[in-house]
Amino acid sequence: MKKFIIIFTLFYGINLLAQNQGETSSFFDKMEYKIGYSGTIFWSNGLTVGAEYNWKEIQKNKERKSTQRTNTHQFLFNGNLGFATNFASKTDTGGFANFGITWRRTNKKGKQFSIEVNPIGYYRSFLPETYEVKDGNLNKVFLPGRGYYSPSISVGIGRLRKGKVRSASYLNVNFSPRFNYNAGTLPTFSVQYGFRFNFKNKKR
Amino acid sequence: MKQYQLIFLQLIIVAFAMSIVTSCSNEFDLDNLDETLFVRHKNADMAAYIKGNGSEKVFLITLHGGPGGRGLGFTGSAFNTIEKEYGVVYFDQRGSGNSQGNYSENDVSIDLMTEDVLALVQVMKRKFGNDARFFLLGGSWGGTLGTATLLKDQSDFKGWIDVDGASNPFGMYELYKESFTATATSQIELGNSVDFWESILELVAQVDPVNNLDDFLELNSKAFEAEEKLFEDGFIDNVENGLEGNITFYSYNFLTSGWNGNQIASILVDDQGLFQIIDFTDQLPQITIPSLFISGRYDMVVPVASAQTAFDTIGSTSKELLIFERSGHGPLFSEPERFSTEVLKFMDQHK
Repeated sequence: MKKFIIIFTLFYGINLLAQNQGETSSFFDKMEYKIGYSGTIFWSNGLTVGAEYNWKEIQKNKERKSTQRTNTHQFLFNGNLGFATNFASKTDTGGFANFGITWRRTNKKGKQFSIEVNPIGYYRSFLPETYEVKDGNLNKVFLPGRGYYSPSISVGIGRLRKGKVRSASYLNVNFSPRFNYNAGTLPTFSVQYGFRFNFKNKKR
Repeated sequence: MKQYQLIFLQLIIVAFAMSIVTSCSNEFDLDNLDETLFVRHKNADMAAYIKGNGSEKVFLITLHGGPGGRGLGFTGSAFNTIEKEYGVVYFDQRGSGNSQGNYSENDVSIDLMTEDVLALVQVMKRKFGNDARFFLLGGSWGGTLGTATLLKDQSDFKGWIDVDGASNPFGMYELYKESFTATATSQIELGNSVDFWESILELVAQVDPVNNLDDFLELNSKAFEAEEKLFEDGFIDNVENGLEGNITFYSYNFLTSGWNGNQIASILVDDQGLFQIIDFTDQLPQITIPSLFISGRYDMVVPVASAQTAFDTIGSTSKELLIFERSGHGPLFSEPERFSTEVLKFMDQHK
């Protein structure tokens, strides 16, 4: 019995591993990666990297002017990591990370429209040399800055490059409030422009 | 794929390294300072931009207007001249400009903001040594905050320069009515912008005789319009020349600083009754350091009578009141050469 259990466990383990490897492979096939500019152009400029996982994809057919049109609707999980700075004043430097879901529509010509909602988000400002005055004492602050809860919403357009490793380009307008900033909530806007990469296309 | 992932990782590391390098740089040239540092005090991180010639370790700490203005708003041709001789500290007050933090509205008070200024002085001493000497300059609302700061502790300052400052914000309601009536009457007699000045007289007749915030804000808004008319009719010099070299645009995200400014102004003006309660006139005799008052003859926003009262009341034995004849609420921009000459003369005398 003991021998049977060991053989069963071993077989089941191998089976699970094989299954996981299959799922892993399928997981990465559904992934796209992105890199792009993120900033306000005049006051802060930086870089964002991110990844998207294609959770659901639906083809919708429409008939317009007696021609059949197929639009693809995707729901994607996404995560972003970015950094932006104001080189002039050094007062608007910060890194951010956010996670959420994207809805994207792609038409027959490859034109895309997307709405990205990231309810989980964090912004960490990085300040230059900072001294803290507390109870009459003065100390230099190590890695000065502040952390803020910072969800975001982005609305944008893009263009699909079917079958290419650089699979798409995008241009988003991003709204990302920071809680609690001074005595309230700071609304911030930025522009994101970049490219998405699908390495699965390289295999083909 | 691993190759691309490595590139992503490298980019992130470079970005973080850049932030650490910029935040840890500690070298500066005293003759030609261009430093940005932050003062952390009671849950606020406030930006101080230190510029100019610090070779004598004499610094002019500036307090901007508003409430909710921008520290670097003073920059321009007048301060460029001052920077050639002395160090200038442009300070973004709590909730203003690029300052950030996390505190409640109830924590904000003028008293707390005076402590912020004194914390800045402590930081400056740490950075430049205990032999550093300081002058304090406040413009408009900065004049109110500066007065409050000196009443709390004037021991660290060699002199006080009040530019269009309001040491009695409460009293401005009456001053508006007097100043509007006098200016409107003389302008109508001269035949200048008659319709506008008649509307000003009507407004003065309509406002509540008792200090009222809504009416105060309307009078305050009209004061800016009145200065535009006085500029158009040739009584106030163009401020454009004085604004040459102003570096506000690229230094402040206008959405961030605008939102900050509105919020702190709302807290101090609407919630805490800045213009309904605050009057430092009776305490001015306690200020004894050398003082210079500068006001524009046609300042409709903080009328010249405010500077006259402060000058008459302050306890300083060494004091001077200068009226800039071609200026409104911004003599540093409309008469920049005279402004820098007078400020430098005052600093030379008392450093």
